[in-house]
Amino acid sequence: MPEPPERLIRILIVDDHPAVRVGLTSMLQTQAALRVVGSASGGEEALALMEKDAVDVVLLDLRMPGMNGVETIQKMKSTGCTARAIILTSFDTDEDIYGAVRAGAKGYMLKDASLTEMVEAIQAVYANKKYIPREIAARLADRMMRPDLTARELEILKMVAKGLTNRSIGQALGISSFTVKNHVNNIIEKLEVCDRTEAVTTAIQKGIIRIDN
Amino acid sequence: MSGARRFRRRMTIPSLLAGLLILVAFGIAAYWRSPLRGLPYRDSFAAGKAEEWQAFGGTWELRDGSMRDDSNERGAKLFSGSPYWQDYSVEADVMLLSATGPASDVGLILRSSDEEEGVYAYSGYMTALHITRGFASELLLGRVEHGTYTVSAPLVPELQPSRWYHLKLLAYGCRVVATARASSSATPTVVSMTDNNCIRSGRVGLLSSHSGGVWRNVVVRRATEQDLSEMLAEGASSGNPPTQNSSNTLRSFLDERLEEPSGSTQQGLPPGPKSVPIGDIGLDLLSQSRKVTVRGLVTLTSPTLFVQDSTGGIAIQQETPQLLKIGDEVEATGDASPHAFSSVLNNAAVRVLWQSAPIPAVSVTASQAATGAFDATFIEVEGRLRRKQYLPNNSLCFDFDAGSQSFRAIMSRESGGNLYNRIESDSMVRLRGVAVSDPAYTSDSAAFAVLVPSGKDFMVIAGPPWWSAGHLLVIAVVLLILALISYLLYQRLENWRLRAVVEEREALAYEVHDSLAQSVAGIGFQLEAIRVGTPTELEHVHRQLDVTTELVRHSHREARRSVDMLRSRQLESEGLLSALTTCAYRLVVGSSVQISASSSGTLPPLSLRLSDTLCRIGQEALANAVRHAHPKSLGIHLDCSQNLLRLLITDDGTGFVEDPDQPSFGILGMRKRAMSISAKLEIVSTPGKGTVVTVAVHVPSRVTIASLPARLWGFLRRKHHAGAAGKADPNSDR
Repeated sequence: MPEPPERLIRILIVDDHPAVRVGLTSMLQTQAALRVVGSASGGEEALALMEKDAVDVVLLDLRMPGMNGVETIQKMKSTGCTARAIILTSFDTDEDIYGAVRAGAKGYMLKDASLTEMVEAIQAVYANKKYIPREIAARLADRMMRPDLTARELEILKMVAKGLTNRSIGQALGISSFTVKNHVNNIIEKLEVCDRTEAVTTAIQKGIIRIDN
Repeated sequence: MSGARRFRRRMTIPSLLAGLLILVAFGIAAYWRSPLRGLPYRDSFAAGKAEEWQAFGGTWELRDGSMRDDSNERGAKLFSGSPYWQDYSVEADVMLLSATGPASDVGLILRSSDEEEGVYAYSGYMTALHITRGFASELLLGRVEHGTYTVSAPLVPELQPSRWYHLKLLAYGCRVVATARASSSATPTVVSMTDNNCIRSGRVGLLSSHSGGVWRNVVVRRATEQDLSEMLAEGASSGNPPTQNSSNTLRSFLDERLEEPSGSTQQGLPPGPKSVPIGDIGLDLLSQSRKVTVRGLVTLTSPTLFVQDSTGGIAIQQETPQLLKIGDEVEATGDASPHAFSSVLNNAAVRVLWQSAPIPAVSVTASQAATGAFDATFIEVEGRLRRKQYLPNNSLCFDFDAGSQSFRAIMSRESGGNLYNRIESDSMVRLRGVAVSDPAYTSDSAAFAVLVPSGKDFMVIAGPPWWSAGHLLVIAVVLLILALISYLLYQRLENWRLRAVVEEREALAYEVHDSLAQSVAGIGFQLEAIRVGTPTELEHVHRQLDVTTELVRHSHREARRSVDMLRSRQLESEGLLSALTTCAYRLVVGSSVQISASSSGTLPPLSLRLSDTLCRIGQEALANAVRHAHPKSLGIHLDCSQNLLRLLITDDGTGFVEDPDQPSFGILGMRKRAMSISAKLEIVSTPGKGTVVTVAVHVPSRVTIASLPARLWGFLRRKHHAGAAGKADPNSDR
């Protein structure tokens, strides 16, 4: 089916799972208006490919070994890459959505989206519009209402999650345990929880912190 | 650097613990090998116990509070104590049961080791009362080392069966000395030896040979050099006037000549012609006051003068008081007025003959002393201090208990010094003094009184027992602190456990997300591709593809929900309700569906598995309702009564008719899940009116200590909310 080449949307698929890459490529290749120029298993590889080839839309997984989705978007922006990013993920924690959108993702889709939805999204984003499904948008708005944790608070929250006491956190960061306590209180207030244990579980649930393997 | 520091910190506690452990081990070893462990030792025969004794031969048994061997076996032995005891003495009342054998022995052993059954089959020192048929009896002392060498002294008066003798054996360094006396006041027979290259330590034992024997009041004490010389001096100072036989002064003829106590060179002076044995005065009850002369050693000077010879003691009222010292040998002449137990010499003229060594105390029990047999005698007795007080006549008074007996000790305030403050109530005390049964001293409240010469004659054997009020308070406080610490530790552990669970579930979530969900997503994409590539004429293929695609989507959603579930924490029923409500809100976001959530009854704490499964069934029901029934409102209700927990998901949507041949995957999954927790799933749907999904599961009634507070809290909260609307918005407290 010969189509005018300027109308083809050039797509790059970035996902660390081969099953997803192969499946997505097969599915999108069936669409005449789209052209999958390649697939990458990680952020670094994707950036290298984009330097070589012009890409219009990048379908990005969020969680990947090495450079993750959000980091890849940030890197793309800093290198002046014009490709637009759509996050395509199985995750839908509030923090993931928020983080991706804040980094500059134009679209956010779950992997169980249908082909029609996906084509719709790609075309919308290609046309420089945003594509965020309704229910995800609602949660995004919800998340926007909540104040961000500062970097220090995030650092402390991660240590709390590891089970450290205020005193040992203070020792590790070189601050007094009272300061740590203040930070922890701020965290508890911002996350709208009752205690530090709940703060940790809520933070994990909302995707604010991850437990490293 | 920080790694090293962390390593150091991690090693600190184990190394401290190890150090502590080693210290404790050393402490235990030092205690175990201590030459003083368990001293002073006193047998518990009277209490009917003899577990700590080990027999080699003989028929040892406890009878009437004493240890008895009825066999005529040669070399019957019974041992006890620590093999590390070194310088100590053992004493006991010993009785020979028969003298019918060729040569009968009963005696004591010390510093024994390497014991076996058989005659002389041990290494140690022994002393024995020995009688050979047709010959005189002897006090034997010897070293036994699977064989024997002995020294001996003739025993006077002749050894008689069925009579108590007090036998004492002491070893200090390489000096060993033994004494035997027929009664507490009798002149002792002393025999001693110096054993170069001696046996240094060992256990204590009883022995009998060719005759049965009885032992009681076995006492083992630590021995000092002073004890040794005192014992030797007993033999030396026994030269007070003999009563029947002038050859009464005895000592070991094999032993080297003993050093005489200073000033007693007149040893063995024949009795004055007029003097009578003190013990005889009391016998002469009929003759009233008469003039007698007695000789003896001063045992007490204040408040009354007491003098004692080998037959007994007497109180002396001096005509003209003169300064006397304890240990002075005196001759007193006065009017004897006999009493039931002891006598008083009134208007006596006292003459000091010479200075001698103080008379040794006779060790008796309180019960023995209470008989009056030891009246006016210098005794040693033990008791537990009950009460202490100052008497108006400037003296100290201590009340003691010893078994069923009670007695009191009296001494002047000056000689007592700080004794009053030093001795705590309930202490075990051994004291020496002159026993009196005069009501003037006993105030009729005690069986007898002991007039104690000085503070030195008070020895605290053991302090008050640990269960005094102060100690109990300390123990209570310590226990309280321990309980607090263990509670904190428990909390910390519980926290760790919870965190471990959260981490484990997070890891599982990651696993599900990373492998399962991704593969399912990939398959879904492939299916879409196939569907697009399939010509539209192949309708049945398209239909199958549609079903497969729906199946795959469902699986993907399931996987995602699993991940969600694993990330959230539904440890309680409240968590279940709020999780379902959150899920419902998520499903209907952007639409105008009303959601109500409520609970009734006491919601029991649920296991993770149960709450997980209920949550998944609820989620599926909610998703089905939102996706297919287009309801205006959704209801989530949790109810528990009589251990039956019911979860109700209601909607007012279109309803559906279940096709028994082709149920939806969602409903199949719900049934399967309900089955896995033995729950009953009921779906009642009326087309046009809505659907009610009910899950009912039996929750085991668990009233444990852990669940009690939760139950109580639930009960109180229900009370508090009584009257308020049954419906509670779970998000209201967020």
